[in-house]
Amino acid sequence: MGKLLELKGVSLSFGGLQVVNDLNLHLDEGEIVSVIGPNGAGKTTLFNLITGIYRPASGDITLDGRSLVGLQPHQISQRGISRTFQTLRLFLNMSVKENVMAAAYGHTNAGIFRSMLRTPGMRREEREIEQLAQERLAFFGERLMGYRWDQPAYSLSYANRRRLEIARATASNPRVLLLDEPAAGMNPSETHEITELIAQLRTDGGYTILVIEHDMHVVEGISDRVVALDHGVKIAEGSFETVATNEKVIEAYLGLQTTATK
Amino acid sequence: MSDSTPHSSHIPAEGPAVGQDEWVARHGERRLLRGGRLGKLEERLRVVPWWVWLILFVAAFSLLPVVESSGYVRRVAFDTVLYMLLALGLNIVVGWGGLLDLGYVALYGVGAYTYAFLASDQFGVHLPTLLAVPITVIIGALVGLLLGLPSRRLTGDYLAIVTLFFLQLFQTLMTNGDSVFGHDLTGGPNGILNIDPFHIFGHDLAVQHGGVFAVSYFYLALAVFAVVYVALRFVNLSRTGRAWRSLREDPLAAEAMGMPVNWLKLMSFSFGAGVAALTGTLFSALNASVFPLTFYFILLIVVYTMVILGGSGSQSGVVLGALIIGPLLELLRDPGKARILFYAALVGGVVFGFRRSRTLGIVSGATIAFGFVMHAAASAHDAAWVAGDKASGFGGAMAHWVVVPAHLASWVQPTTYVGLIGLALLLTLVDRRVRIVLLVPTLYLAAFVWENVMLANPEPMRYIVLGVILVSLMILRPNGLLGERRVEIV
Amino acid sequence: MDTFIQLTIDALTLGSVYALIALGYTLVYGVLKLLNFAHGDVFMVGSFIGFGVLQLLGGTSNPIVPIWALLVLVTLAAMAGCAVLGVVIERFAYRPLRNAPRIAPLISALGVSFFLANSMQLLFGAQPRNYDTFSLANGALYLHGIDIGQVRVPLLRIITIVAAFVMMVMLWYLVNKTRTGKAMRATSFDLEAAAMMGIDIDKVIVFTFVLGSALAGAAGVMFGLRVPTNVSIGFVAGLKGFTAAVIGGIGSIPGAMAGGLILGFAEAYTQGYISTKWSDLVVFLILIAFMIFRPQGLLGRADIHKV
Repeated sequence: MGKLLELKGVSLSFGGLQVVNDLNLHLDEGEIVSVIGPNGAGKTTLFNLITGIYRPASGDITLDGRSLVGLQPHQISQRGISRTFQTLRLFLNMSVKENVMAAAYGHTNAGIFRSMLRTPGMRREEREIEQLAQERLAFFGERLMGYRWDQPAYSLSYANRRRLEIARATASNPRVLLLDEPAAGMNPSETHEITELIAQLRTDGGYTILVIEHDMHVVEGISDRVVALDHGVKIAEGSFETVATNEKVIEAYLGLQTTATK
Repeated sequence: MSDSTPHSSHIPAEGPAVGQDEWVARHGERRLLRGGRLGKLEERLRVVPWWVWLILFVAAFSLLPVVESSGYVRRVAFDTVLYMLLALGLNIVVGWGGLLDLGYVALYGVGAYTYAFLASDQFGVHLPTLLAVPITVIIGALVGLLLGLPSRRLTGDYLAIVTLFFLQLFQTLMTNGDSVFGHDLTGGPNGILNIDPFHIFGHDLAVQHGGVFAVSYFYLALAVFAVVYVALRFVNLSRTGRAWRSLREDPLAAEAMGMPVNWLKLMSFSFGAGVAALTGTLFSALNASVFPLTFYFILLIVVYTMVILGGSGSQSGVVLGALIIGPLLELLRDPGKARILFYAALVGGVVFGFRRSRTLGIVSGATIAFGFVMHAAASAHDAAWVAGDKASGFGGAMAHWVVVPAHLASWVQPTTYVGLIGLALLLTLVDRRVRIVLLVPTLYLAAFVWENVMLANPEPMRYIVLGVILVSLMILRPNGLLGERRVEIV
Repeated sequence: MDTFIQLTIDALTLGSVYALIALGYTLVYGVLKLLNFAHGDVFMVGSFIGFGVLQLLGGTSNPIVPIWALLVLVTLAAMAGCAVLGVVIERFAYRPLRNAPRIAPLISALGVSFFLANSMQLLFGAQPRNYDTFSLANGALYLHGIDIGQVRVPLLRIITIVAAFVMMVMLWYLVNKTRTGKAMRATSFDLEAAAMMGIDIDKVIVFTFVLGSALAGAAGVMFGLRVPTNVSIGFVAGLKGFTAAVIGGIGSIPGAMAGGLILGFAEAYTQGYISTKWSDLVVFLILIAFMIFRPQGLLGRADIHKV
């Protein structure tokens, strides 16, 4: 299986601060890779670089060998990369259903004029989009279905909002999913559920997943591989055990002269 | 704790799951309670499909020329339809695209002037209507597109400046366009005259029949309105409408979900411009003339007030806004009607403000009494102080309550006006009891100012009313009458 | 050459007035991120206050105080009056909207602008008011002056330019060298953080409006001294003012000064060398050029957003 997503020598700085420094990262098709690191390590910046919100000062980011650098975020999304956000960015005043349907924009094409006339082609596409939304939401069981369909997103509980964001991200039919702290703020049972869900996304959905997480239980439960970042530099890579016991990783999280406890 | 009786129609019959969904399930109820009476009414009316409303409305409106044969009323009705179209167009840009387009009425002007260029003696070009109108719309949309392009990522403030400057520029260009390198392009301040009327199905649409405003343009405008309304509604329900709503919610997330935000904003801008240009052709053809001054700041604020009052983002809302503001502006031109409107608003405001409260009686009684006392004191001091302008009918009756002097010293107008504003603003600061006490002289002063200062100058008075409506709306009810109450994360 | 000198003097005079107005915009935008559309009409009110006080003091033909005192009093009155007006507008039209989405105070500002202009028309009518500066001391302000080449620069122009410059220097000093100024700068960087550092945001904002509106009042008097004023000048003046602020870099004080001068020069030279008709077009094109190539303006900072 070839490398699906690859970052080669990517660097970025804001003013004098080097946020990402000569980063090499790759994602093989079907993998689940976790990115860990203390706050400020550059993890979300990494996601922003991949999705085109920031442009790398040097280096290249490729999907299937084709470069993504310089593309607009919506173009990158249409190429097959989708994401969730650390701070949750749902379309709060839109309904649950609409949030998911909205993300289907990139792979549909009923234009404004066809919409004005409501051509049969446009109506067919609308039905397909709605069906797609239903499928994606059904992934989470009954939670986001039924009467929740038409409720505005702001009425959802926190955990449901996180789930909705993931559902929305899958609606653009991506190949790669970037999940930014999907378990943040969840209680243990919800965290356990999310862990299973991410695994299910790979097996049932076929997505290749890059996850930023702080909760090591989740990381341990899902990862094929773990990458540790600190101050924009990759300091360790490998299986969970390898990385968790790596000296530099422990130092980054806890400081010098501390023994690891697991 | 499971409950077998549903709390609202939204919950499935077996009731919400224990401990999890109760709060969410009650969401519908809470919203109902928050919306108040207006909200409850809305809920009931929401069941009626939108196109039923449209049909009813168009049917009712089209009966107007049948019921009312006055040319003036028909003319106002026509103007109101134009306003409704303008409001619909601005709604696309502001309500759906979320862009502050302050040059919108210049695009209206572009449409009006372009039609004039294509169908008058100005350049000797007399294109048939079915060519001139579409070409004008396309040109309008193109100009809108060009205007939106440079505003990098169309961030609110920069776009506002560029578009406002365009408004000014359009004005200057049209006013000075009568000598461009020796050629008269735009007719200058006197505009372009003798514009061709619409020529449809082999007939020129007559503007007048024997001096009275003919209805053909009115019905045409109404038909255009209905078509535009439906077309826009369909767009709003489509993926483009969804994308517009998404980018209003969170442009970054929308972009990340595959929606080309910049292009979508440009499209909303361009479409709004197209609708404005279309309205411009109607304006030109009916009036048979265009002047630069029509398309300037005053009209901009008028259209914006309509959109904000009705509820930006809601098509039916902005139409309602136009229906209210358009005729209101006309009514305020006539001092007699303006007087009635004022007192109606005063009484209505007091009643609504103090409904379900004994204070209503106190305030009303006190104000009336206060008024008569002041009036008596004034006339006792000097009969000339209450001898002013005894209009007949309602005005004359009110002149027994309000002090209307025969002559006003020049300092009275500014002092009482500023005093009224000061008092009104002060009212918002003080606590409830003081407010009730202060309200009485304030109401009386308001009546005095209205009678003696405002009614004397209907032109600026109408616009002052509009300005007050606009500011109050933004502070008290920014979502307008029919706009949705939005949850924002700042 | 003489035309050039004449036009340059015109540019400087015009630019000074624009700069003063632009400063008001940039100060308010700096702290509130709000384009105060009503500012241009505050400028207009300033010119009217100046006129009113001028009449109270006997008018230009029979002033009851010496000329210099007359000018100072008139200017101070306009500055004070406009400062009060600015504070009232902020308190009642903008402060309630401080946590509302950005578009809300903008529209409120439009409403206030509309209200102000029409209120003035209601109260004082649409006809122009002429300060009639020429009558002052038998035209002293026009007949005396400095000669540059063949061109006589009237005293009035010199006073205008110098006064504007002095005010700008004082403002710069206030903002950069005093504690209050530091509070203003802190607030303009990050309102919430400044509040958390113990800065009284409301006071800072009020102070900003006082400064900006006072400058507009002074600009109003300078305007009125040279050209008859009327109730409709607010719109165009405001427009030019914040265009100048944007071109110079909104949020930057030297930027506003630079922007005002650029605008003044662009207009003066276009009007002189080409025609008065096209100065608006030229300024528009300059604005568009900045929007495309340098949206942060001449001296503004490029924004860094954290996602």
